Amino acid sequence: MTEVGARVVLVALVVLVASLVLGWAPLLPAALVLLGSVYAAQLYADDARLDGAAPLFAAGLYVTAELGYWSLEERERAEAAPGEGLRRLAIVALLGLVALLAAGSLLALADILTTRGLAVDFLGAAAAAAALLAVVLLARRQPES
Amino acid sequence: MIRRASPRVAGYAALTAIGLVAALAVRRPELAVLVAPFALILAVGLRNAGDPKVEVELALEADRVLEGGEVDAEIAVRAATGVDRLELFFDLPPGMEVADGDDAVALRLHGDEERPISLRLRPVRWGLYDVGEVEVRARDVLRLVVWERRFRHSTRLKAYPKEEAVRRILAPVETQAFTGSEVARTKGDGIEYADIRDYVPGDRLRSINWRASARKDDLVVNERHPERNTDVVLFVDSFADVRQGDRSTLDDAVRAAATLATRYLDRRDRVGLVAFGGILRWLQPGMGLTQRFRLIETVLETDIEPTYTWRDVNRIPPRILPPKALVLALTPLVDPRYVAALEDLRARGFDLVVVEVDPVGLVEPGRDEIEALAFRLWLLERDVLRSRLQGLGIAVARWGDDVSLEAALEGVRTYRRYARLARV
Repeated sequence: MTEVGARVVLVALVVLVASLVLGWAPLLPAALVLLGSVYAAQLYADDARLDGAAPLFAAGLYVTAELGYWSLEERERAEAAPGEGLRRLAIVALLGLVALLAAGSLLALADILTTRGLAVDFLGAAAAAAALLAVVLLARRQPES
Repeated sequence: MIRRASPRVAGYAALTAIGLVAALAVRRPELAVLVAPFALILAVGLRNAGDPKVEVELALEADRVLEGGEVDAEIAVRAATGVDRLELFFDLPPGMEVADGDDAVALRLHGDEERPISLRLRPVRWGLYDVGEVEVRARDVLRLVVWERRFRHSTRLKAYPKEEAVRRILAPVETQAFTGSEVARTKGDGIEYADIRDYVPGDRLRSINWRASARKDDLVVNERHPERNTDVVLFVDSFADVRQGDRSTLDDAVRAAATLATRYLDRRDRVGLVAFGGILRWLQPGMGLTQRFRLIETVLETDIEPTYTWRDVNRIPPRILPPKALVLALTPLVDPRYVAALEDLRARGFDLVVVEVDPVGLVEPGRDEIEALAFRLWLLERDVLRSRLQGLGIAVARWGDDVSLEAALEGVRTYRRYARLARV
């Protein structure tokens, strides 16, 4: 299992590097999905009650995505003023921290709710569906001119 | 501004959807936790992304510059609302380059902030340039939304052609009635000595040649040549252009036209222009500084407009080609319609000089034997054409890589001094 996981991680890294080298943004989420799938497989295999390291993985995945997209944006020939790079790095670090806190809060909530039976399961599923719907609706907002 | 989602939105939405579905499928809340930051950033970022209000204005230090010269451009960027990253791309027309500064910059602007950007532009070729196009791209702090707009300003820069080094210009055979710098063939009031003749009542006392009168024992007066102006028409061939890299026969012809126009106008001659090609442009002969600017600005509009129709000189209004005018044709001698027009002008008795902007150096001699043979045949055809024109009494000056314009004109001057003008 560990060997297969390592290979998938290697493939994910190759896809990530290819995305950055080719400048093709759709490959970037594919690399992150591959990384996430390794984590999911690990969770499935371990069958532990709740993984306390999930917020760290979430923040790491988010920071990886941010840095990847930043790298793709830097391919534009417009050069920013000196110091802007450091400022952007600070923003990404701050967003990573926010991601860690948000994921930690969600995990703590999940920890409380997983012990409450089927009704809470339904509530969790409904919340997940509502979150997904909200994301889709926001993403589909029409461009304004 | 046009608003569109950045590639992050699709990526984060896909990751969120996959993570939530996977969490439900395998019943592991950690997978929902894994994608929670993406969902959170998407929700907050798209909710708060307000349209930025940006204005861009471009001003040039001067509206005229000599080709190869530099002109300062000042771009004022104003933002009514804060913009985390504003990218500006200056869309420069072909032939214009940035001499100093960057044609693509990224800025961060606060609300109600104005930021000036300085650029130095250089036109590498003469012509008319519209330099007011700026593409603006704004991004929010989470880089989820991109706003784009193209600002178009009617800022026109005129790049005047660089002048060739010419000290002596060609003198026309005939002069006109007005005072100028050319010594006329006729006799009258002037400075240049012409001849002596017997005194007749009415002659001025100051024109009496006392030494000659003493020898002849009768009154003799000096006759002089008056200084008159001339009419010159620059007849530019805009049917065809032979181009290789940065060099082109039309570019050289326009530079020569600008140089000659300036030189003739400096001696108070009247200068006109005819750009004979797909589009016929002309400027009536005139004199003075205003005419100089008019001429150069007309010549700047000269370009090759492809046409298959036959054009002849009947299309040119008669006032553009005044009698006794020197017609200076600037041509690579590659289009038969232009050559026919030259023959036609000569047949009408115009004093005609052809300055051949030699295209031979711009043409590849050919890679294989057949192409090399074709090239040699083409050269022979050109020699025949030159001989035919000279046979009609048209002086042909070759101006190319190895011959300067001044040397070419000197050759014409010699030809015109010794060759008899053929009357056709």
